[in-house]
Amino acid sequence: MSAQLLREHFLPRFGNPWLDRLGDGAVVPVEGAEIAISTDSFVVSPLEFPGGNIGHLAVHGTLNDLAMMGATPRWLSVGFVLEEGLPFDLLDRVLDAMAEATAAAGVAVVTGDTKVVDRGKADGMFVNTTGVGILHDGFRPDPRGARPGDAVLVSGPLGRHGMAVMAVREGFAFESEIVSDTADLSPLVASLREELGSQVHALRDATRGGAASALNEIAAASGVGVELDEAAIPVPGAVQAACEMLGLDPLYVANEGVLVAFVASEAASRAVDLLRSHPAGSGATVVGTVVAEHPGLVILRTGLGASRVVDMLPGDQLPRIC
Amino acid sequence: MCLGIPGRIVEVRRDGGLPMGVVDFGGVRRDACLAYVADEVDVGDYVIVHVGFALSKVDEEEAHRTLDILRQMGELEEPA
Amino acid sequence: MKYLAEYRDPKLARALVERIRREATRRWTLMEVCGGQTHTIVKQGINDVLSEQVEMIHGPGCPVCVTPLEQIDRALHLASRPDVIFTSFGDMLRVPGSACDLLQVKARGGDVRAVYSPLDALELARRHPDKEVVFFAVGFETTAPANAMAVWRAHELGVTNFSVLVSHVTVPPAMVAILEAPDNRVQAFLAAGHVCAVMGWTEYEPLAARYRVPIVITGFEPMDILEGIWMAVRQLEVGRHEVENQYVRAVRREGNQAAQDLMERVFHAVDRGWRGIGVIPSSGLGLRPEFAGYDAEVRFSLGFIRADEPAACRAGDVLRGRIKPSECGAFGTACTPESPLGAPMVSSEGACAAYHNFARVGRGAERGA
Repeated sequence: MSAQLLREHFLPRFGNPWLDRLGDGAVVPVEGAEIAISTDSFVVSPLEFPGGNIGHLAVHGTLNDLAMMGATPRWLSVGFVLEEGLPFDLLDRVLDAMAEATAAAGVAVVTGDTKVVDRGKADGMFVNTTGVGILHDGFRPDPRGARPGDAVLVSGPLGRHGMAVMAVREGFAFESEIVSDTADLSPLVASLREELGSQVHALRDATRGGAASALNEIAAASGVGVELDEAAIPVPGAVQAACEMLGLDPLYVANEGVLVAFVASEAASRAVDLLRSHPAGSGATVVGTVVAEHPGLVILRTGLGASRVVDMLPGDQLPRIC
Repeated sequence: MCLGIPGRIVEVRRDGGLPMGVVDFGGVRRDACLAYVADEVDVGDYVIVHVGFALSKVDEEEAHRTLDILRQMGELEEPA
Repeated sequence: MKYLAEYRDPKLARALVERIRREATRRWTLMEVCGGQTHTIVKQGINDVLSEQVEMIHGPGCPVCVTPLEQIDRALHLASRPDVIFTSFGDMLRVPGSACDLLQVKARGGDVRAVYSPLDALELARRHPDKEVVFFAVGFETTAPANAMAVWRAHELGVTNFSVLVSHVTVPPAMVAILEAPDNRVQAFLAAGHVCAVMGWTEYEPLAARYRVPIVITGFEPMDILEGIWMAVRQLEVGRHEVENQYVRAVRREGNQAAQDLMERVFHAVDRGWRGIGVIPSSGLGLRPEFAGYDAEVRFSLGFIRADEPAACRAGDVLRGRIKPSECGAFGTACTPESPLGAPMVSSEGACAAYHNFARVGRGAERGA
């Protein structure tokens, strides 16, 4: 539905060369140099979940979008829409999270806005963050940049955030040790940039829709096929168990601290090492390759040696009984 | 109809007369109603759980026997 | 996960595949009844690796796919009421009714909530005494014991704001309908493992004998499916037609007596419509009159609804294995996962959704499926 809204309502009114590329962010010229801008709004419920709160997501989400474009995040603006009656201690926990996350990233919140709306109008709170980052010469990972022969990597195990949220969701709650993987991925990208530079062809953080969506988006934008090895895909045991219980596929479960990277094949092994040198990348591994065949399609090779398509889902994945 | 997975009973109790338990599925734990298997299970047993109800006790002996047979078959087969 | 992961061992699976390839002297046509089995077959590509030995026809064992259009419309009507919290299994939320689906009703302000268990819905009723909580009780015999218990508990606890919209179907009458059809090609069945964990397999013995078809009660993991196929092929190769149990770790011949007893107290057999197929006599479960207070159709006076399927939808033919989804004129054009005409395109193990994925691989994966 968002894609349709974009096409039919927003683009006709705002279309310009930067917006039309529909990337995670925009690169704009400033007096001859180039900076990156990205914005994201967070409307999650519940506001708090094992491993974090909406504040972590709001900061990490925008830092990561900037990082996926190759930028070093520097400045953030924050906008809040608060529902009347929101407990102050909850607000403070969210703000603490944001302060901690921005400080750790060396990013400054330079401006912001707050509005209060009537009870029932904002699910507790809605948060928007807009980030500005500095781009580096020669490092422009792009969803259109994947090439046949590239190695496909993930920076960590899949499905933690989505299942951490599900664990506290009314009607599905369960007990587990799963915590959200929310993390700032910009240091991981900086390592890749410093050593591998233009051998990093495409990056995307695997958020809503899971790794499957991120892979499909890049495959489609680059006009290439992706082949995944089922046995190589890392999923923590507890996430796998929770997915089995609810009938969910970990490939489609949301992450908040995992990126997918398409790198030149000769750089794959070094890329894995670089990612693993960071705590947030400790589970990094190669999961597949890029091929020229079946452009735009992501194919998974199963244990039996057969293949199936890992398609884009039309909506959110739903727990099933069957 | 179908999504039933095996888990290990780690706690049993009665909720106002209804036999209930906590079942552990590979590290994830959830309540399940044990009313349909109450007479044959205890803590430590494995059950198949579907939509929050244990429907069947896992026959561990049969499970191991099947796996042994399949493993023997696996050793006999030439790889393709 | 214990008793799950071991049945996914790729090495053992490949050994079973080799065994089946060696023992089948011709191509056999099998039907797996249960949607969960279809899911595994499609997800693992079992069709693909055994395409020369078996043709798997995907049976109507997906409760999402067979819930009649009129019941979906009743659900949509109830979900739109401001005094109702409408609860359902997740699978049902995107099934198209005549005008829209439950997710769209939710988007328009209906209180629609997915739950894992009918007991969660009952708990909601206890926590919201000011609202009517309705649970969409769909499923086969596997789910009936859970739904029966929810109604029984509501009755025992004196909960008065809880009711169920029932759309239960039972397997054996559907198998008979398939076997009786003049164009039936099914030579053996993989029976639904969890249905049989509840019901046992005594009902299948007369079917195997009368129609001379092997019926193998099968589990859901790749190795279960492969072992079930192997057992069916072995019977077919020597002309046997018996009920055999592959899923020995979970199924016994008499099934679960306690579950059957409560089902018997709460439900009775009724005629039930199967979406796309029509009414199959005595193929459903309905609440007994003494539980009418918990029957949403009675409580909300839902009465007769006339519901017409889109003319282009051929779900019925697909569900009976008469045509492959790709042979439907609307497949991939007017009917896609984003805008489905019928349920088999919505459900993750609906045959049409499965084909929509497979067909796009374009590498001969469609060979025998």
